[in-house]
Amino acid sequence: MAAKILQNQIRRLRFEHKEMTQQELAEKIGVTRQTVNAIELGKYSPSLEVAFQIADVFGVPLEEVFQYGNSTRRRS
Amino acid sequence: MSFREKRAWITFFTVLIFTVLWFTHVWRVQFLHARDENPMIWFFGTVAALIALEIALHIAVAVQSPREARTPKDERERLIDMKASRVAFYVLLVGTFAAIGTLHIPGANRLVMAQFLMGSILFALLSRFGTQIALHRRDA
Repeated sequence: MAAKILQNQIRRLRFEHKEMTQQELAEKIGVTRQTVNAIELGKYSPSLEVAFQIADVFGVPLEEVFQYGNSTRRRS
Repeated sequence: MSFREKRAWITFFTVLIFTVLWFTHVWRVQFLHARDENPMIWFFGTVAALIALEIALHIAVAVQSPREARTPKDERERLIDMKASRVAFYVLLVGTFAAIGTLHIPGANRLVMAQFLMGSILFALLSRFGTQIALHRRDA
């Protein structure tokens, strides 16, 4: 059975929102830039609260930011 | 390198310096029969000096990145702290049982047991901050 992982579209959404930096996003949701980077790279799965905050910043539904599914990309 | 990681490095190296100094001192006194006048002054003097060094380094790092220094720990950093504390707990547990085990070593006395306990505390601290550094590095 293929392993399912949490994927996200944060990088794309940041660039679609006036090339928002990781630092700007981090300040909006109250975490550090390193945490945003870890989430974006799939190295850290955020809490529901942070996930909803990210979706709220971009003004999109949660499922547009995060997807749970099969991937060929290896998670470190 | 993040602000929290820098802080973990500072504390790790300060504890490491103390560990090396402490066990070098113990080795000299126990096995080389060096004179051990005022051991409490030596102990508290070394601890005070290292605390002063650590505070100075933490201030220097905070001045370098004031914005990060003002930011409270977020959920990932709290999780890293908890995972590191869990590792340190097991190191301390094993060390404490090893210290109790010294009761069965012929010729061992309270001093040997105390050194084992001291070692357990120091290695638990080193493993705590070492784990923090490793987890910060992994997510970087």
